[in-house]
Amino acid sequence: MSVPERSRGVIALKEDSCTSCMVCARECPDWCIYIDSHRETEPAVEEGARPKTRFVLDRFAIDYSLCMYCGICIEVCPWDALFWSPEFDHSAGDVLGLTHERETLGGWLRSAPGASAGSGQ
Amino acid sequence: MTPDELLAVVGADAAVGAFGCLTLDVDPDRWLTTATTLRDAAGCDFFDWLSAYDDGAAGLAVVVRVWSVEGRHGVLVRTRVDRDSGSLPTLTPVWAGAAWHERETREMFGIEFTGHPDPRLLLLPDGFEGNPLRKEFVLASRVAKEWPGAKEPGESVAGRKRPLGVPAPNEWGDA
Repeated sequence: MSVPERSRGVIALKEDSCTSCMVCARECPDWCIYIDSHRETEPAVEEGARPKTRFVLDRFAIDYSLCMYCGICIEVCPWDALFWSPEFDHSAGDVLGLTHERETLGGWLRSAPGASAGSGQ
Repeated sequence: MTPDELLAVVGADAAVGAFGCLTLDVDPDRWLTTATTLRDAAGCDFFDWLSAYDDGAAGLAVVVRVWSVEGRHGVLVRTRVDRDSGSLPTLTPVWAGAAWHERETREMFGIEFTGHPDPRLLLLPDGFEGNPLRKEFVLASRVAKEWPGAKEPGESVAGRKRPLGVPAPNEWGDA
């Protein structure tokens, strides 16, 4: 690929960092981020402590047929779970193919600068 | 030409707006004379753009930006017109390039430009009802589609939460 590595080609999801907080889905001006999650309770680590509740991601998808690549989701993510990747060649023959589910979004991490260091954006 | 000199030529109350951009606020009845003065006395020969924005109860604001190619100075001129019966004289005699911009502003905001040589719709199809860039215009896509942000963390079923600035569909339209 011959574009600069900081080019804004596609948005990558680092699932480990995502807490399903919904901030990106709510800020998205195009309404193109879909998140489903559920609550899981982990037993208390020691006696007297409360059990810990955490959110588990069931679905994270970006519909690139709607996305205008503004990057607001990346900016607002409090957990640095979204990154720009320079890969731009994700056209599809079917409009449904432009909805990238979590596996596809995770795959873009391979080219997203900063994602492995966890430094964000 | 400095901003002060420009102001003296036009004789308008002015404020230097955001990004250091000289902005002249004029009454609608001075719209055409201000434009003519800017072209003839201030050298603003280049018509950049004309558009409007919905300023709620204050009415509709119409903004035009012009530029002097030789003097390398530009100015924004702004006026406010009534929501229901807003009209302005066309600027096409001053800058012919204003014609398309006024056609677009007319269909998007419902502002008449009196004396316009060709007031057809520019972008909208014939028979289109409403003015899409007015705040009260209902965006079909915002009514037909469920907001993805309505879910709370840990939920897969949408709650009742609504996005900021988007009223419920049945409340929409009373601007």
